[in-house]
Amino acid sequence: MSDVFDKCSNWKDYRIAKATGLYPYFRAIEASHGATEVEIEGRRVVMVGSNNYLGLSADPRVKEAAIKAVEKFGTTCSGSRLLNGTLALHEELEAKLAKFLNREAAIVISTGFQTNLALASILGRHDIVFSDRQNHASLVDGIRLSFATERKFRHNDMDHLEQLLAQAEPNAGKIIVTDGVFSMEGDLCNLPRIVELAKHYNARVMTDDAHSMGVLGDKGRGTSEYFGLEKETDLVMGTFSKSFASLGGVLAGPFEVINYIRHKARSVIFSASMTPASIAAALKALEIIEAEPQRRERLLDIAEKMHNGFRAMGFDTGVSVTPVVPVHIGDQVKCFRFWRALHEAGVFANPVIPPAVEAGHALIRTSYMATHTDAQLDRVLDTFETIGRKLNVIPETRPTVYEPVKIARPGTRVLHNKASETWAAGSAGLLADKGGLTLEQLSRMSSREVAGKLFDAVEQLTWRAANLQPDDLRKLGNAPMKLWEKRGELPGLLLEKGAHFFMRNGTNGTQSEDRN
Amino acid sequence: MALPAEPSSPATASLPPLPSDVQVTPVRGSTEKMQFIRFPYGIYKNDPNWVMPLEMERKDFLDPKKNPFFQYGEVELFLARRGGEVVGRIAAIRNPRHMEVHGTKEGFFGLFECVNDAGITRALLDAAAAWLRERGMNAMLGPANVSSNQDWGLLIDGFDTPPAIMMPHNPPYYAALLEACGLTKAKDLYAFELSSSAAPPEKVVRIAEKLRVREGVTVRPVNMKDLDAEVKRIRDIYNSAWEKNWGFVPFTDAEFDHLAKDLKAIVRPELALMAEVKGEPVAFALTVPDANQAIKAAGGRLTHFGLPIGLAKLLLASRRINRLRLIILGIKEGYRRRGLDAILYLDTLRTAKQLGYVGGEISWTLEDNHLVNRAIESMGAQRSKTYRVYQRSL
Repeated sequence: MSDVFDKCSNWKDYRIAKATGLYPYFRAIEASHGATEVEIEGRRVVMVGSNNYLGLSADPRVKEAAIKAVEKFGTTCSGSRLLNGTLALHEELEAKLAKFLNREAAIVISTGFQTNLALASILGRHDIVFSDRQNHASLVDGIRLSFATERKFRHNDMDHLEQLLAQAEPNAGKIIVTDGVFSMEGDLCNLPRIVELAKHYNARVMTDDAHSMGVLGDKGRGTSEYFGLEKETDLVMGTFSKSFASLGGVLAGPFEVINYIRHKARSVIFSASMTPASIAAALKALEIIEAEPQRRERLLDIAEKMHNGFRAMGFDTGVSVTPVVPVHIGDQVKCFRFWRALHEAGVFANPVIPPAVEAGHALIRTSYMATHTDAQLDRVLDTFETIGRKLNVIPETRPTVYEPVKIARPGTRVLHNKASETWAAGSAGLLADKGGLTLEQLSRMSSREVAGKLFDAVEQLTWRAANLQPDDLRKLGNAPMKLWEKRGELPGLLLEKGAHFFMRNGTNGTQSEDRN
Repeated sequence: MALPAEPSSPATASLPPLPSDVQVTPVRGSTEKMQFIRFPYGIYKNDPNWVMPLEMERKDFLDPKKNPFFQYGEVELFLARRGGEVVGRIAAIRNPRHMEVHGTKEGFFGLFECVNDAGITRALLDAAAAWLRERGMNAMLGPANVSSNQDWGLLIDGFDTPPAIMMPHNPPYYAALLEACGLTKAKDLYAFELSSSAAPPEKVVRIAEKLRVREGVTVRPVNMKDLDAEVKRIRDIYNSAWEKNWGFVPFTDAEFDHLAKDLKAIVRPELALMAEVKGEPVAFALTVPDANQAIKAAGGRLTHFGLPIGLAKLLLASRRINRLRLIILGIKEGYRRRGLDAILYLDTLRTAKQLGYVGGEISWTLEDNHLVNRAIESMGAQRSKTYRVYQRSL
């Protein structure tokens, strides 16, 4: 007899991560000092793991607007937009956003996630949705909740998209849905080509501008403004929890479509509306985004500084062209150790492991605020360099050359940086597997097989010993000294080697669907 | 049996039919890699001449981090299975340095082992061919394990003795399998047998000794204490001497160092001879004890049930090695056709006799390298084994 709860009590990974002190999630922040620094476990750390791109969450004007709204309207609307939950503030924000985004209409929804779920309401049984494989989980769910057919194309692979479009039923309604900026690796969608294909195959286009609204484009209107393709992008989605210093989401587009969603989307009509404080904060943030373009400039300057700073040390920041700066680590356990060391040295960043990224491509994701000071940023860079060397992620000395980053500044049209060798998946099957063992595998083996494994290990040791060269022996002679020097590193090293024995290395599911 | 739907062009009409119940898949993961390494054990179960390689050595050989070939080359391994049971293996090899040196678009197949079934052989070859074609190559040579600087060629004559160190060995039926699949001869490679009990022809001795005086040739053993510098000298001679040979690709530094490191364990400095003219190293001959005699004793592993039984056997047997293989004899451009080779052969032969070796193999040479082959035969050596490199267009 199986119990629904069995999987919860049998879930080993969590217990192991917790026991080894490498559990990096749900960290409670005890206090915030201007958003760029926070207190965790009584320790003050630099925050480079938030999406508060413009640093507005700590802006006194935004705070005050929220406080005033609470005083005027109370703490909640206690109901759905459809019935009792619509305030004049909601309508004001919608009108201002529609104007800001150059659209006929806009609707604000309680969270960004629900905003994407609302997409389901316009996707009918005979429609076809073409979505990027690395789209955010909320888009994946939004499409899953609809009755439409989903066709996923390989990340930013326009040939694949075209192939799928060409194969689709010509008379079916079609829509291409993509993230504007991909949240983990920081590259942009190929909107120019998507728009071209959409025109040719008579499809609609929707971009999720969660990470680009307020960041990209001359006026901060996101990916479509950056590419000069606002008219061609039919629907634009944004969130308030990033640049807008609040909570909630917006969907903007033609009046009829938005009006339909307003009345049909279940995530709108069966959910309590945005709280007065959230709306007021978003309204004020919008005002500041329009009035202070220097924040965007500063943010992109910071992004460039950090990308190049990391690259100069020998780190790999991948394809990103945005203030999302992923630092490639590779091994999953090493990534956790890296995160732990960062945390201890006073830097808050997020480890990203499979299945959010491909196996063996674990990374530390950093993202920046326009309000970070240079001193804070230098501290982050120094910390990364020290730890990177200690954990052998970067060489002891800086490389003589590095390729400077290209940043998606207004007026440029870069999509992504050149993917480096370490990011490209190793093609040869020989490199693919290190042959680690999991406990589950071990428990399934017969005692004969276990003995075989043990004997193989002895064989390997003997072989290595028999092949020792004089040079190696000399090195071995120094080993005790070396070990003593590195004694502080030893537990971590053992942990890394040992953890592979217990943890599945995330090889199931190479593409990310569940992200963030 | 259902035949595969293939256009029956004249080229494919005569080929053996592809068996419908055999799957050829690329090797993924360490379990399959071990299956790949262990597959030959069944094939050679009853072959007294087969030398079972050390499993760990094969593992390192196929490890891109350990084998310097992978610094530039690319290898994909394939296994053929029938109902879960492995029935054949092959490697497809992309060697960009070979293509660069020879200006061709030739790829390689290698590490070929197969049960006696031409259909399976064809399936394996087709898999390798498809992999190479995908990478833009238009011809396939082989077997190469995995490059001409390691070992290559298929044994087609001389099955009665075990292979010398770093030489291939295979069942007699492989040649028929490959030929049935439309592969044709590209080149034959020869191995010669020389006994140290027979005295070298007097005429050769007389000419060589005269030369030694006239040209001022001094022959000395390699200085093991200054090995790094010596390895560099040897590499220069080697790469210059083989330059224009068919199928030759110069060693990379990493490959040569790796080979030197491997050979260092078995080499006897007395048998690594350097010839100098006025202090300049111009020729080099390397003869090593035939370690295959010892490796054979180990039975593929250094330890059995965790005990160093294989290692003990290997060490014991290594003291009883009585054969040699002359691996390299190279002369720098400009010093050839002067009889330097005869001097090196003679000195090697004399030293071998002094050290108590009964004889050995000189290998390998190209069938059409008449100059070298004649020189070897003039020493009294007999051709003992023939290896064949096959080719096929893609």
